[in-house]
Amino acid sequence: MKLARQEGTLITYALGSCIGITLYDPNIKLGALIHIMLPNATGANAGNVFKFADTGIRETLRKLAAFGGVKSRYVCKIAGGAQMFEMTGGGSIGNIGQRNIDSVKRTLQAEGIRIKNQDVGANYARTMLLDVSTGKVAIRTIGKPEITL
Amino acid sequence: MSIKSYEEMDGIALDVMREIGSIGTGNAATVLSSLVGQKVKMTVPEIEIKDFNDTITLLGGPEDVVAAVLVQMSEDIQGTMLFLLRMEFVNAVLKQIIGKEVKNYSDLHEMEISVLTEVGNIMISSYTNAISTLSGMTIHLTVPAIAVNMLGGILSVPMAEMGYETDKLMLINGKLILNEVKHDSTILMLPDIESLNRLMSKLVGDYSG
Repeated sequence: MKLARQEGTLITYALGSCIGITLYDPNIKLGALIHIMLPNATGANAGNVFKFADTGIRETLRKLAAFGGVKSRYVCKIAGGAQMFEMTGGGSIGNIGQRNIDSVKRTLQAEGIRIKNQDVGANYARTMLLDVSTGKVAIRTIGKPEITL
Repeated sequence: MSIKSYEEMDGIALDVMREIGSIGTGNAATVLSSLVGQKVKMTVPEIEIKDFNDTITLLGGPEDVVAAVLVQMSEDIQGTMLFLLRMEFVNAVLKQIIGKEVKNYSDLHEMEISVLTEVGNIMISSYTNAISTLSGMTIHLTVPAIAVNMLGGILSVPMAEMGYETDKLMLINGKLILNEVKHDSTILMLPDIESLNRLMSKLVGDYSG
């Protein structure tokens, strides 16, 4: 998880089945970028809270509040959750991206945060950039022009 | 008496992995030779256990484009195998097998993708066969899947698959020598921890990590 105020660009590279979540408070130009890898924290290996959608989002909200962020003002955007490999005949690997998307959306909804824009699913990796001075979110992929979320 | 993560493997366990790596590499060189119709040599591979970011640094940058073939293992050993194909190697095998080279990854079409998937599958099977032969364990492999995309995105797939157990990846890194040109050969061998313990108890006997 990365956090910045006023200026700077937060970047997370090459999100595959992982998901990047940006939370931005435009009034005080406070931004956070979370990179989660798995849907839910389970007791056994919950060492790094930011690895999981549920605990990662909640811990980031706590941090943002400590920096003066106000939940009702947050602009939230998400990207990633791709299915990088198309597994014929199933296999558990195929749907991890989708399970991440579901968990991120469920957690945000439970926190009362609306997703303003998203670029999720499909079969390619995405680099996500948050410009903290403007709140602009850009998505970089291979072989396509950069898009603004 | 068992280990809980890759980094807990001791010298004996790593020797076993190195042996699997060497035998697998030997198998791979033989099969690849017959596929490309000329002698393929391989260097003795290194076993490396690294976390996600160090793995990417070792192999390039997160946004570097690579091709990768992924196979899932089931039955006695469960887990994932992934073989990375970089542009130089892609062209070396395409030239030998279908007499064609490409400039960019975007020039890889159905025919080329099919050849690369098969090459990846052969490489991966060479290592799983080595495990089966040494341990007598049965390994069932899924149909291989291929992706051509950012290295970071590709590696996030096995990383997530292993994510509830470990933050480390296990790599077999060596060089393939084709037409006297050295190519990096990188296999990610990722049995789940339970399977790894089963494998070690077969090959080391009273293995206690």
